[in-house]
Amino acid sequence: MRRLLPERWWLWLVWGAALALNTVILLSLRGRLDKAHFALAYLLVVLVGSASGGQRLGLSLAVLAFFCFNFFLLPPYHTLFVAEPLDWLVLLAFLVTAAVAAHLLARARSEAAQAGALRELDRFKDTLLASVSHDLRTPLTTIKAVANAISQEGDDRARVIETEADRLNAFVGDLLDLSRIQGGVLPVQAELIAAEDLLGVAIRQVSASFGERELRTHLAGDASLLVGRFDFLHALRVLVNLLENAHKYSPLSEPIELSVNRTDWELLFEVADRGPGIAPAERERIWEPFYRPGDAPSGVDGTGLGLAIARRLAMAQNGSLQYQPRSGGGSVFVFYVPAASNDELDAISL
Amino acid sequence: MRFSISATAELVAHPMTDPLILVIDDEPQIRRAVRNTLEPLVGRVLDAESGRNGVNLAASARPALIVLDLGLRDMDGGRVCREIRTWCNVPIIVLSARHSDSEKVALLDAGADDYVTKPFSPDELRARVRAQLRRAALVGSADASAVIEVDGLRIDLAARTVRREGDPIRLTPTEWDLLRALVSRAGRTLTHAQLFRAVWGSSNGDPQAYLRVHVANLRRKIERDAVRPRLIVTEPGVGYSFSSST
Repeated sequence: MRRLLPERWWLWLVWGAALALNTVILLSLRGRLDKAHFALAYLLVVLVGSASGGQRLGLSLAVLAFFCFNFFLLPPYHTLFVAEPLDWLVLLAFLVTAAVAAHLLARARSEAAQAGALRELDRFKDTLLASVSHDLRTPLTTIKAVANAISQEGDDRARVIETEADRLNAFVGDLLDLSRIQGGVLPVQAELIAAEDLLGVAIRQVSASFGERELRTHLAGDASLLVGRFDFLHALRVLVNLLENAHKYSPLSEPIELSVNRTDWELLFEVADRGPGIAPAERERIWEPFYRPGDAPSGVDGTGLGLAIARRLAMAQNGSLQYQPRSGGGSVFVFYVPAASNDELDAISL
Repeated sequence: MRFSISATAELVAHPMTDPLILVIDDEPQIRRAVRNTLEPLVGRVLDAESGRNGVNLAASARPALIVLDLGLRDMDGGRVCREIRTWCNVPIIVLSARHSDSEKVALLDAGADDYVTKPFSPDELRARVRAQLRRAALVGSADASAVIEVDGLRIDLAARTVRREGDPIRLTPTEWDLLRALVSRAGRTLTHAQLFRAVWGSSNGDPQAYLRVHVANLRRKIERDAVRPRLIVTEPGVGYSFSSST
């Protein structure tokens, strides 16, 4: 039974009855109405029926309406024969209009349903990300704390566990960030920020991994003019990623140089190292997620997401990130962000 | 955890001789990790597995410090903070996951004193707890005077003067207000909104856009190296704090 009858079969009954009623009413007014009135009245039934019962109901109603129109309302009455050739045109136009309208309605409905499903999926992704980040970090916290307690008792293997827990945490963070950036759900909060403020935090964050490595900083000109309009946390992430890359890929004896310059429109943060540099053929590929240089020194670990995240974060705040070979060997990564305008700088000194 | 009324009274009388720490967290593993981390530091660590119990224990046990997790199931962390703040000033350190900077800000605004990000390093948590206990001990004591000396800098809050190695430093009124706000709550992270209120009297308005730049200008005057500041510490995404233990 369920296969023979369409789902919601009662809707078909209702709309069949509506069509019959429509025909009876039109029949009683036959003498006073025009063909266009008949066509419009039927079209209305087909459209509303199609909207409530779907495309198949709409098409069936259209065909039924076509026959009723022809049989009862077009002379000669009570035959399917049509006297006036132009009336064929009216009938045909009616049938096509009704069919196309039913089809378009059905498509609009399915698109709306898809959009709803996509929204649902997006919400699901957000919840998933939040819960993954929470559920992974809770056990990591425990692992780290226990490993730390054991390493205090002098077991070096526990220190390895602690380091690896940190790495896992960084990896989880990178993956979450990349998926947020790709999904376009990354909030950007641009503010007026002094370059020194950003540099200070970036230097503090890398100081543990840099250890004995020398980091030279250089601010060009009057430091009070080195003010930009960008997102502090995103810019910090970019700078820290660049510094850690420079540290990973260059000999420990060579200092890393971090300098800030400004043009009329932009602040430029430059991170320069004396590593192997990047071959011309690879220079576009370094921005791809999971890219790792083929000749990476052994012992260099990382997710391969650092530069991909950095470039996308730079662009999200109206900035950019570029690579340049360094004269004398090595790499220079230049991170551009919009500079504060003169008006904004004047307002500060008031 | 059971202890007698007299023990409680004693704790209130000598909070520093036997500091008691309360951990509010609904994850048993985290509670244990925090307990293991902090037990060598203080006499006793109590824990509560829900916000409601935490608030009750905070009232009955009068801990010297509270470690509060943000991800409680029964109560919003901000509500726990505000409820505790209605009757006491015990230092509250918040544990939070990294993705929730805005949550941290809301909690600091609700009266929390500091926060530690998960997964935290035990050393960091211990250092933060020690700093908060020390700060709490200073509050109200005669030592909380109007003159602060730190890293070669002498700040006289009453006379409104700042000197480095005897040489006066000239500050603008805004810079002075910023410095006073930071110094008078040294060791605490002040959110951007708290600093706006302290300097401009309201938490909204045009000047707030320039807060970060004013801090940078102030640093250039009082820090030895503005790129490697030691006094005014930026807490990314949250605010600033003044470090008096340099």
